[in-house]
Amino acid sequence: MPIHDHGYARYAGTRRPPGRAWAVIAGAGIRNMLSARPFLFVLLFAWLQFFVRAVMFYLAANVPQADVIAPSPATFREFFDQQGFFVFVVAVYAGTGLIANDRRANALQIYLAKPLTRVEYVAGKLAIVMAFLVLVTWAPAILLLVLQTMFTGSLSFVREHAFLIPAITLFAFLHVLLASITVLALSSLSTSPRFAGMLYAGAVVFSEAVFQTLRGVTGGSGLSWVSFSASLAQVGDVIFRVEPRYDTPWGVSLAAVAVVIAVSAWVLARRVRGVEIVT
Amino acid sequence: MSSPVIAARRLSKWYGQVIGLNDVTVSIPPGISGLLGPNGAGKSTLLKLVTGQLRPSQGRVQVLGEPIWGNPEAYRRIGYCPDHDAFYERMTGRDWLAALLGLSGFEGEPAARAAERALETVGLAAAADRKIGGYSKGMRQRIKLAQAIAHDPELLVLDEPLAGLDPLGRRRVIDVIKAWARDGRSVVVSSHVLHEIELMTSNILLLNNGRILAEGNVHQIRDLIDEHPHTVRICADDPRRLARHLLGYPHVIAMQLQDGAVIAQTSRPDAFYSELTALAAGEEAGAVREVTSPDDNLQAVFSYLVKH
Repeated sequence: MPIHDHGYARYAGTRRPPGRAWAVIAGAGIRNMLSARPFLFVLLFAWLQFFVRAVMFYLAANVPQADVIAPSPATFREFFDQQGFFVFVVAVYAGTGLIANDRRANALQIYLAKPLTRVEYVAGKLAIVMAFLVLVTWAPAILLLVLQTMFTGSLSFVREHAFLIPAITLFAFLHVLLASITVLALSSLSTSPRFAGMLYAGAVVFSEAVFQTLRGVTGGSGLSWVSFSASLAQVGDVIFRVEPRYDTPWGVSLAAVAVVIAVSAWVLARRVRGVEIVT
Repeated sequence: MSSPVIAARRLSKWYGQVIGLNDVTVSIPPGISGLLGPNGAGKSTLLKLVTGQLRPSQGRVQVLGEPIWGNPEAYRRIGYCPDHDAFYERMTGRDWLAALLGLSGFEGEPAARAAERALETVGLAAAADRKIGGYSKGMRQRIKLAQAIAHDPELLVLDEPLAGLDPLGRRRVIDVIKAWARDGRSVVVSSHVLHEIELMTSNILLLNNGRILAEGNVHQIRDLIDEHPHTVRICADDPRRLARHLLGYPHVIAMQLQDGAVIAQTSRPDAFYSELTALAAGEEAGAVREVTSPDDNLQAVFSYLVKH
């Protein structure tokens, strides 16, 4: 009678090298979001402006009477301004539950007992939001530039405005990073995605309301740095080489954006722990 | 002597003003080791320090020969099963395991195989594709255990793995833990129920108020206990007559009559049992029907050590 070995067989397969666990988190999160049909509709909706602008670019390139809608660097700046709403919606949809849900499920304790650093965990979560925000900012903007070149059959616009590609990339990165890290930090403060979403909306709306109030009182826009969106808009104007819309020096606006990013990073460092210590 | 799987030196952890663990120096050998202590003794704090979840306030801890704090690469060698549930209720057991295996560096087919093997080991293969939200308490404990063993670690760290389990589930989990250790790997398991630990190992570590109270083999701890008064309950036909005889022994330090039995405390249990046997054989103190000692179980050992 054969005697079968019932001993434990050690795993002899390969393992992914260390330092790539963030990609596992990002991949799982992106797949999870893409499996939600309402989110796909939001993404599709976020590309509406792209389609409208693509038609305008086509007309400007092919219909002489439509010269008035010919693209300029300001067109791309406006494109980002108008995408701001979708950045907000996608950030809330994709970002507010990312850490809050893990905290609610107590999952951080198990995650961080695996070969995964806190930095990798945050990087993975950040990558999820950033991927979708890049998809509604940088990707359509660059595609518009490509379409513009294709419709006119010439690289002259790109050559003439060579700063546009780095400007689109830099501003998209800044916008995406600011929204992603802020929403993640707020997500880490709660176990409820809804509450995190309300915090994010509150922060954006409240800071803008404070700025508008101060603007009304002072009669100038020098205090635009108190608003997230106004600070970002001011920096964006400088990056796209258009007339800055507020009186605030752009360096101050950039510093305000940097402070928000730094505070968010600090919150994440404090809140993302396997064991929550209450003293 | 083989090197310890866990070596802590002057390890302390404070939570603000509260001491979680206080100046603990301990070496835990390979095999199964039980960590015993009442709620709030510092068991979970020690296990979280051992798994790198907490940074020591003072001292250091090495696991499998490596410092553990800030060394996530070493976490590949450890499987941790926390005391609290930590699930996504809407995920199936299999998906949850596969996702966690991804964090341990497994991917694709090997990850699926490792998940399947872990599910079979804990007896959850049939329920693998059900959502965790529908699992019973026993199944939840077992799926937590499955995630701890799935990546084939060298050391299992289990925080109260038997809590809330029914007898069958308890037996299953104990069998898994024992089988794991038989394969040459180590397990550190915490509990506040001594009987549970006794079923798995005789190598125990007693913790109370953040300090190590005693460590080693249960029998060594018994030797320690024997320095302290040992209680024996004797049911006899004539308890008063028996009590009069027992009072003549110099090592009997206290006595009381209760429900037709004599409850005696002795400072020398071995001598007491030998003399009692002789007394019962001579029948001069009447018939002795039953001798029991609450010290014969680990609970009494623990109670003694906590008191003294």
